[in-house]
Amino acid sequence: METDLLQISHVSFQYKGAKDAALTDVSLTAKRGEILGLLGPNGAGKTTLISHLSAGLAVQNGDVLIDGEPFAKVHHNTPTRISVAPQEYAFYPMLTVLENLNCFAAACDLSADLQKTRVQSCLDFAQLNHFGNTRAQNLSGGLKRRLNLAIAVLPQPDLYLFDEPTVGVDPQSRAFILDAIKHLASQGAAIIYTSHYMEEIEAIADRVAILDRGRILCCDTLSNLLQQGAMTVRFQLKDASIFTPEHPSYAALLAFGHLQSDGTHYILSLRPHTPLSHVFTALENSTLALHDIQVGRATLEHVFMTLTDRKLRDN
Amino acid sequence: MTLLFALMKKELLALVRDVHGLAALLLMPVLFIVIMSLALKDVYNPPTKTLSYAVENKDEGALSTILLDQWRKDHGEALPLSADWQNDLLAGKLKYVIQIEEQTSETLAQVQIAPNSDNKATIHLLVEPSMDKAMLASLQAQLTGLVSGIQVQTLRTIIAAQFQNSSPSPKADKETKPPDLVDVKRSSATQMTPTSVQQNVPAWLVFGMFFVMSAMSGLWLIERENGVTARLHSFGVPNSTLLLSKIIPYLGVNALQAVLMLTVGVWLMPLLGADALQLKGINWPALLLVIAAISAAAVGLALLVACLVRTQAQAGALVPILNVLMAAIGGIMVPKFVMPTFMQRLAELSPMNWGLEGLLTVILRHGDMAAVTPYATRLVGFAALMFVLALLLLRRKN
Repeated sequence: METDLLQISHVSFQYKGAKDAALTDVSLTAKRGEILGLLGPNGAGKTTLISHLSAGLAVQNGDVLIDGEPFAKVHHNTPTRISVAPQEYAFYPMLTVLENLNCFAAACDLSADLQKTRVQSCLDFAQLNHFGNTRAQNLSGGLKRRLNLAIAVLPQPDLYLFDEPTVGVDPQSRAFILDAIKHLASQGAAIIYTSHYMEEIEAIADRVAILDRGRILCCDTLSNLLQQGAMTVRFQLKDASIFTPEHPSYAALLAFGHLQSDGTHYILSLRPHTPLSHVFTALENSTLALHDIQVGRATLEHVFMTLTDRKLRDN
Repeated sequence: MTLLFALMKKELLALVRDVHGLAALLLMPVLFIVIMSLALKDVYNPPTKTLSYAVENKDEGALSTILLDQWRKDHGEALPLSADWQNDLLAGKLKYVIQIEEQTSETLAQVQIAPNSDNKATIHLLVEPSMDKAMLASLQAQLTGLVSGIQVQTLRTIIAAQFQNSSPSPKADKETKPPDLVDVKRSSATQMTPTSVQQNVPAWLVFGMFFVMSAMSGLWLIERENGVTARLHSFGVPNSTLLLSKIIPYLGVNALQAVLMLTVGVWLMPLLGADALQLKGINWPALLLVIAAISAAAVGLALLVACLVRTQAQAGALVPILNVLMAAIGGIMVPKFVMPTFMQRLAELSPMNWGLEGLLTVILRHGDMAAVTPYATRLVGFAALMFVLALLLLRRKN
């Protein structure tokens, strides 16, 4: 791990005509060799944040620094120090894999010789050698994702932004893409990785930032976050119909932490330092008939759901 | 330059692989030229000389015989007059019948210096019900001219006879052709007759050139929707290079369209039985200037449309409406000269009309650089305005 490559300090942003700010006082860092998982529900502000880092949006308030220099200056002088692999298939569907790579290699302003070398390296990296002459529109979903990745890798940037790079691919392709991204980090690149797949973030991220309604709710190492989530008590009732918010035990359990249901089980995420014995006592003293009960540590999903609540996000 | 070439190559590859887009740019205008030129062939050259006709001649005099001989020379042999000729005329089997009453030759010989209202016409032109006004007027004018010519000839003979103190003879020399009273010349260096091909090739060439809107906005939308534009910007590709990479290939496409359409007019149309497009003696630099100006205007408008539309559905609706409206107003679909005055004024607002008038100035009127400069200036001005608006929109979106 090295010093911070990216420093985002107190960045706020409001779209013209919008009622609410898309980003409010966002501060983040990304280090070389580190993967930062960026989590957030739909509309949380992830795309707005990534747009700031891909020169799609100008900074309104706050600072974005790359190696201590303002982002705008760095992007003006060396735009390919940061590379984005957007959620969309950001390439030309009517061109072949090779034609796409050559076109984007030219866009990266690589010299003719370097273009050839980089295109071949990226074909190897994404294991697309057999598909060089296949039109992108005829590739499978997994291969399209790999082409998207290969184009992002072309300029050998210092910072990668991966926006849900595994949407719609099979488990094999997903594993391949995750390994490839880990490999990039191991070679010294800083990586920001957004996804809705919690297990992916758990598998890949060194640190995790949770963004919601334009604010960073937490940003810490994965192990610290899971520690913060602390213990969970997961139980199933024989008759769940009586366990409504009006039930006296419901309020009693809420006093220990956050209570939620996944449809069959109730999950009580305990506040730090809550004695487990108190929870068991409360359950024993209640009129509830338990079917089963499990104690464990919170997953990233529990942490995420606890912080962002379960309400549907329609915006 | 490598970047510009790479982006231009991408644009051309995308275009070549879009069969429908290519068909709209190249095949559609060619088909329009072929179909409309053949369909309107007779509008520009009424086939008065090949219409089927018959004659009912009740006059036994010499002048009617001269008249009919002369008519036959110009319009071919008359068909035999059947007993049921009125029905043949009604059914359109006969296009017209010339009826000459008894004593017509004597009437023609009594040359009237001053018109006499008591005189009744003794030569009748009966036409089929569906004959259009222009063709009827043409036949009427030809027949009237011929009759007048014969009368003048007769008058000359009478005067000559009086000077020689011999008795005038109503007989005219059958071998003498009636004089042409009016010499008609088109005010053009080449005396070229306008044909449907001369009108349709420039018209549909202009229409086709403006259709680049469709192809250009289509690919641009793909680039915007799937994040390619954002990716290119993130790699530092400037807007100016992006715009140039689109402008230059489509200027080339317009040039290819021009070569193709002119070739179709010159070589293909005669093979299909239509008149050939005449380019002999035209001012080539003036033609190139007009084509370049049309191309600039078409590409400029295409850029603006590509920046304006947000979805393929919007582009699919806007592009054909814009193109067809400009063509309908601008004299592409209906020639401007048949429009009423207020529509002609309206036509002059359409950039397609500026392009068409510029091309017609070169091809029909053999105009030079000075003659086409007003049209080229308007087109280039329009192009500049479109480029500026497109650039402003692009900056606003970025």
